[in-house]
Amino acid sequence: MNPTTAQPATDRRSSLALEFEGLGYRYSGADTMALEDVYLAIEPGEFIVLAGGSGSGKTSLLRAGCGLIPHFHGGEISGSARIGGRSTLESGPGELADLVGYVAQDPETQIVSTTVAAELDLPLRFRGDHPAERARAVEEVALALGIPHLLPRTVVTLSGGELQRVALAVALVTRPPLILLDEPTSQLDPVSGDELIWLLRRLNEEWGVAVVLAEHRLERCLAAADRVIAMDGGRIGFDGAPREFLAWAVARKPELATPSALMFAGAGIEPLPVGVRDARQILRNRHPQAETPHAESSGSDHPPNRWANAPGTGVRGPGSGEGTVLEAKRLWVELDPGDGPVDVLRGIDLEVLPGEKVALMGRNGAGKSTLLRAAAGLVEPVSGKVGTPGGIALLTQNPGDFLVRERIGDEISGPAGEAALRAVGLDISPDRDPRDLSGGERQRLALAIALAGRMEGEALPGLVCLDEPTRGMDRGLKGHLTELAERLAGQGAAVVISTHDVEFAVSFADRVILLGDGEVIADAGMPTVLSGGWYFASEPARVLDRSGLVSISQGVEFLEAGE
Amino acid sequence: MKKLSPIAYVPRRETVQSASLAPVALYLGSYLLVSFFSSDPLVLIAATAGAALAGYGCGAGKAVRFSLRLGAFLAVSMVIINALVTGRGATVLARLGDWPLLGQVDVTAEAIAAGGVIALRVLGTMVVIGVWSACVDPDRILQAVHGVARRSALTATLISRLVPLAATDYARIGEAAELRGPAASPVGRGAMAHRLLAGSLDRAVDVAATLELRGYGISGGSVRFRPVSSRFDRRFWITGSILTLIALFELLAGSGRFETYPEISYSMGVEAPLAAVAFLSGGFVTWRRGGRGNQR
Repeated sequence: MNPTTAQPATDRRSSLALEFEGLGYRYSGADTMALEDVYLAIEPGEFIVLAGGSGSGKTSLLRAGCGLIPHFHGGEISGSARIGGRSTLESGPGELADLVGYVAQDPETQIVSTTVAAELDLPLRFRGDHPAERARAVEEVALALGIPHLLPRTVVTLSGGELQRVALAVALVTRPPLILLDEPTSQLDPVSGDELIWLLRRLNEEWGVAVVLAEHRLERCLAAADRVIAMDGGRIGFDGAPREFLAWAVARKPELATPSALMFAGAGIEPLPVGVRDARQILRNRHPQAETPHAESSGSDHPPNRWANAPGTGVRGPGSGEGTVLEAKRLWVELDPGDGPVDVLRGIDLEVLPGEKVALMGRNGAGKSTLLRAAAGLVEPVSGKVGTPGGIALLTQNPGDFLVRERIGDEISGPAGEAALRAVGLDISPDRDPRDLSGGERQRLALAIALAGRMEGEALPGLVCLDEPTRGMDRGLKGHLTELAERLAGQGAAVVISTHDVEFAVSFADRVILLGDGEVIADAGMPTVLSGGWYFASEPARVLDRSGLVSISQGVEFLEAGE
Repeated sequence: MKKLSPIAYVPRRETVQSASLAPVALYLGSYLLVSFFSSDPLVLIAATAGAALAGYGCGAGKAVRFSLRLGAFLAVSMVIINALVTGRGATVLARLGDWPLLGQVDVTAEAIAAGGVIALRVLGTMVVIGVWSACVDPDRILQAVHGVARRSALTATLISRLVPLAATDYARIGEAAELRGPAASPVGRGAMAHRLLAGSLDRAVDVAATLELRGYGISGGSVRFRPVSSRFDRRFWITGSILTLIALFELLAGSGRFETYPEISYSMGVEAPLAAVAFLSGGFVTWRRGGRGNQR
């Protein structure tokens, strides 16, 4: 666990990047404690991953770590919190701005200026820095984060990924010794997410910035971490090295364990791997005779790859057009973000059949949301056509947008409403306030609202689409979403979910459509698309590198056979 | 992909965008002044055209067209409303009989002319605001206000950030309303506004927290945002001063030149054409020598 030193207590305190002693906190009006009895010491230069399910206290811990709790959010606080030796009870967030940077979940609310350059300059102006120092600091941080080309841009023209980088740059521009980040990769595609994690690691190594990174998708960031802290019900459930964390998680909280750790644990292989490189090294050590332990090669002493030709691995050919629930033919969609029209979809040809479970993937800006919006009739094609003969229900990225009233019965009622609630498996009182529901329940209710009246009796519309529903979800909630997708597909609807989450796609999809720059660049069975790649591949696939092998259970089977 | 509002500020290396805040405020303010207070149709038309030329000259053609479209809608509405509710004027064009609430409705040429003057004022004002919005960096305004009124600057910052956020939220909620199933309760404007307001309060808290984290609370009045000077300042100072003087002269001497009641009368001397030429040609001040900038 944490190292202890022989330093005098006061010296050590001032040298710590962050310290909590018996911290307890309750939000104003809340019944339960958000944080309880938290003891934590973070040394300068540490890279810490903060794990935990939704509502476990990660965000509250980060807010307490930058002074927003208690100064901004009010509530009741006990114990003490110190940043660089200064008490957050005595100093507000503004006074602590030199010591800590904070990047919250939603980058849109973290930008207050018109241009990127002005946004980066603002904290330095508030601090009273000389213009030359400010100019140098802005230039340096922009170069460090690879965003000098964004400096003259207005913030309203930035994509989600660009906004996230700018928010990170603003947090770093005053060169604080500690930076706290709350799920910064939740809106990013796998490539951008990985880039951001390794950018943080580089800043940590080169500048010595202590990093505390709250994340749900631990497989992305565990390899970069020195230490993992797991929150559980507002308390610290675990605090230690990544490998120890995985052992703890596999035994106590499997929903926090990474896919490769679960795969190794299932096959009885130790130690548990911290990331893909580590996993491959462990396997290489166990099978030194193999050049690449589990890569596909005829000379390997491993079992033949029976997943390569498994059902669902084939590449899709053109369909017959009969019985399709989504049909796009040479679909072109043009949008104007303000500086001239841009082709967002470029000649898409696509068919989806009833009962299919499709993951729509691709990098930020590839056209996923636009394709779903075009199918739902929200945007008009400039050329070609798109049709949904059996009807469509689309749930957009924020389910809260569907919930505008304070009583479920006022949102949805009558036999059609009840049928829709049954279809999504939601059995709740119509008198409840939608805001009191859990994240998963809110999502189901929003989907029921989209479905209400589009069903014939108990029959669903031909196509049900969900646009990036897994943002900010822990693995438990994703499991519920997978169940929902299977339930809907079981009732005959095709389910299309756009997602950046490869592991989630593995859990629910039987087909993956990969978009790139507005075009379909891959359309095949899920195992074919999500194995054998670097980014758009599941962690078991990246570890074992076998065509068609993507899931934890397949990996366990493969590893057991190879032992 | 986000769609940018036609009147959203876009940084460009054009004259208005590059110039300091004060001379630009004087220059565009003179157009606003004359649009607000003049009742001479010739001057109002010239001022609207001048403001539009100024917008085109600094690459804000899209903002000008948007403002003209919106302003035209409002202007036509003004003319119609004034014609229906104002029974004054000697030249009756149509007798529309008794209407509920309005009583006897007579459409007169004078009422239409009076509505036309209001419409021209609205049109001119809309164009000036559109050009200002598209060409003047809100950060500069906030920096100018910050030194003298910190709380006002904070409020202005919150509003300037919340307006685009609210617009985005409103578009999203509206889209979700379109996607509701036919058997779900329909969402009216009232419910959407209620939802937007509730969401905006959360957004405001987040934006305020961001400002606090940036060190806004400790900056006090000690922060000095030094004004940036530009080689274009001089032309805006001179033109703005001249046009402001003309606008003030219009305000003092121009009243009564154009009368609508009881009958339309227009006693045009040399002042009105001179003022019109001044405001029209003043629009070219934003244009660069050798052709105007990159119009969108």
